[in-house]
Amino acid sequence: MNRAPYLFLGIFLALALSFVGLVLSNQISYGDFSTHIDEDEGKAFPLPAAGLAAQGKLVYQDLGCVSCHTQQVRREGFGSDVGEKSRGWGERQSVARDYIRETHVLLGSQRVGPDLRNFAARKNANGTDHTAASLYAYLYHPQAVVKESNMPAYAYLFKTQPIIGQGSAKALKLPAALGYEVVPSPRAEALVAYLLSLKDTYAYPETKNVYTPPAPKAVKSKESHK
Amino acid sequence: MATDSCLSPQLKPEGAHTPTSEASVIDASLRTPLTLLITSALLWLLVASVLGVVAAWQLHTPAFFNACEYVTYGRIQPAQSSVLIYGWGFNAAFAVSLWLMARLSRGVLPGFGALLLGTVFWNVGVAVGLVGILSGFSSSIAGLDMPGFALPLLWVAYALIAAWTFVVFRDGRSQQLFASQWYLFVALLAFPWIYSIAQVMLVLVPVRGTVQSVIQAWFSGNLFLLWFASIALAAIYYFLPKLLLKPVAHYNLASTGFWWILVFGSWAGLARLLGGPVPAWVQTFGAAASFMLLVPLVIFGLNFVGTLSGSWGSLKNSYPLRFIAFGVVALMLVLLSMVADATHGFAALTQFTYFTAAEVQLGLYGFFTMVIFGSLYVIVPRVFATAWANDALTGVHFVASAIGVVLLVGSLAVGGIQQGLQLADASIAFSAVTTATLPYLFSASVGCVLLAIGQLAFAINFFWTLANASACCVRSVKDLLAAQPEATR
Repeated sequence: MNRAPYLFLGIFLALALSFVGLVLSNQISYGDFSTHIDEDEGKAFPLPAAGLAAQGKLVYQDLGCVSCHTQQVRREGFGSDVGEKSRGWGERQSVARDYIRETHVLLGSQRVGPDLRNFAARKNANGTDHTAASLYAYLYHPQAVVKESNMPAYAYLFKTQPIIGQGSAKALKLPAALGYEVVPSPRAEALVAYLLSLKDTYAYPETKNVYTPPAPKAVKSKESHK
Repeated sequence: MATDSCLSPQLKPEGAHTPTSEASVIDASLRTPLTLLITSALLWLLVASVLGVVAAWQLHTPAFFNACEYVTYGRIQPAQSSVLIYGWGFNAAFAVSLWLMARLSRGVLPGFGALLLGTVFWNVGVAVGLVGILSGFSSSIAGLDMPGFALPLLWVAYALIAAWTFVVFRDGRSQQLFASQWYLFVALLAFPWIYSIAQVMLVLVPVRGTVQSVIQAWFSGNLFLLWFASIALAAIYYFLPKLLLKPVAHYNLASTGFWWILVFGSWAGLARLLGGPVPAWVQTFGAAASFMLLVPLVIFGLNFVGTLSGSWGSLKNSYPLRFIAFGVVALMLVLLSMVADATHGFAALTQFTYFTAAEVQLGLYGFFTMVIFGSLYVIVPRVFATAWANDALTGVHFVASAIGVVLLVGSLAVGGIQQGLQLADASIAFSAVTTATLPYLFSASVGCVLLAIGQLAFAINFFWTLANASACCVRSVKDLLAAQPEATR
């Protein structure tokens, strides 16, 4: 192997094969994947994100939340994401169509914190729904809500201001200094709106047919979720 | 410390005869660009180790540095990884690949203006990227975290730097192509390709949906195997036989290993998408390609461990060899873990846990960085024509790095497997899983502190050596000036 031109040609062909085989083929096969139009509901799924939630996604990105949180619910057989005796992180596994409206897909690679793909459809640790107020309290001081949490506090997304008149309706229920209240900044409001918009509950045709779970009892549990 | 005397010409791996005077002319031509490249690499390495300690500490003590958004974990972590990859990894890889190519092709660097300009551009690009990530403009793409506005600068700088490796090859007098050169060519040709595609399809005009995830996995898989691993493999193929004074064992298998890792390795990154929202065939192909890495694993074992076997005693008196041997072992473990990740059971267990972080650290620190350290310990004395300033610092560097890597990777790997097992069992609350990982995260951060100590020792030793070398220069210039009037008289 002493001829440089053949070496260069070989390297070029191998890279081209990898590019065509993996990047180009995927772009061609599902790069123009479109929404699913549900004629009964008269809507195209996935639904577009509301304005504030779209801004919140930028806050999510800018604070690097993706370093610790994934946004993909894996099918049965992978961890305990879905199905019976699972953490109930989703009602079904995530599919490619869930992400087609997103300019930046943030699948993530670490679960230092829980998966957030279906966050808004889940319950709190104490069984209640997630609300803006509960999320503000958690973001402001996570360890005050869940003692074991290793999430950093996002107190800089809030501002402490003197109470004027009746005080802000959005103020956090905290034992703040007398005459002061803690209110979320616009960025915190956007982030919380985004977190509350994370909901993949619509069942596409492909979520019913394509990924057939291996065990028969798993099929049953999927049917029950429809 | 190894000297030129141990690089006896007839034992050069490619069998070519290089007169010492030619080697020193080549080394002298590389002195200025290598000074700049290695200096910037080391400064970035120190930045990365500080950021690494902070990020590792934040994982088990979330109240550490959480007062403002610029130092939150979500920004420190990608900043650390970008600085480590693009600041340390690339500058050091440029330096080592340029020196290896010049020596192997017996080519003298004709000039270095554009090369220096490229290096300055590159480092400005990395600095812009670092500031961009810390102030919230990260692209949130693993391995390409820097904001979109830093990326084109790096592209131009890369072209200005990498081109010179081809120039010294073309100008070189050697007609032979040694295994190191194959790998250098792969690295230098693959990076602009994968980087342009990732930049265009992910940052400039992002493609739709999870095609992005496929491209991300393709990019970061190839960044490791075709860039970092290729550069380090080139260095191992060159330095192992040189330092041991014996040819590479089973060298006839090396070309099979090379083509195999090029063809299958360039598909292997996709295995991390197993179970994800991408087409099933992509996951299957990725897993199959990862499994195929078993072949180069065996070949590298025969080549490197085969060369080392019977000469383990030489490790005692050569620090470069110790670093490189450590890197060889880490390479075997990295490839083994990639093969293991191709199996469904193991992937399902370790996916999204600290185990995958351990694999990344093993590849970047245990394998690439250790091999580059070993290489620099050989290259620097030759290029600056002076011995290393302090051998005790070299010892501290090796011991701290070796223990640091073992502690960091070991605790993340064991902690990650435990985390995976507990996450799979829904009866264990998520907060209990977090609590159970804390001791492992703590020992990992101790590992990061040790790594930082070792790297500080290395940087001190390098700048000390550099000062010695420039003192020599200054002295000779002074002698020359002092002698001048006598001569004219």
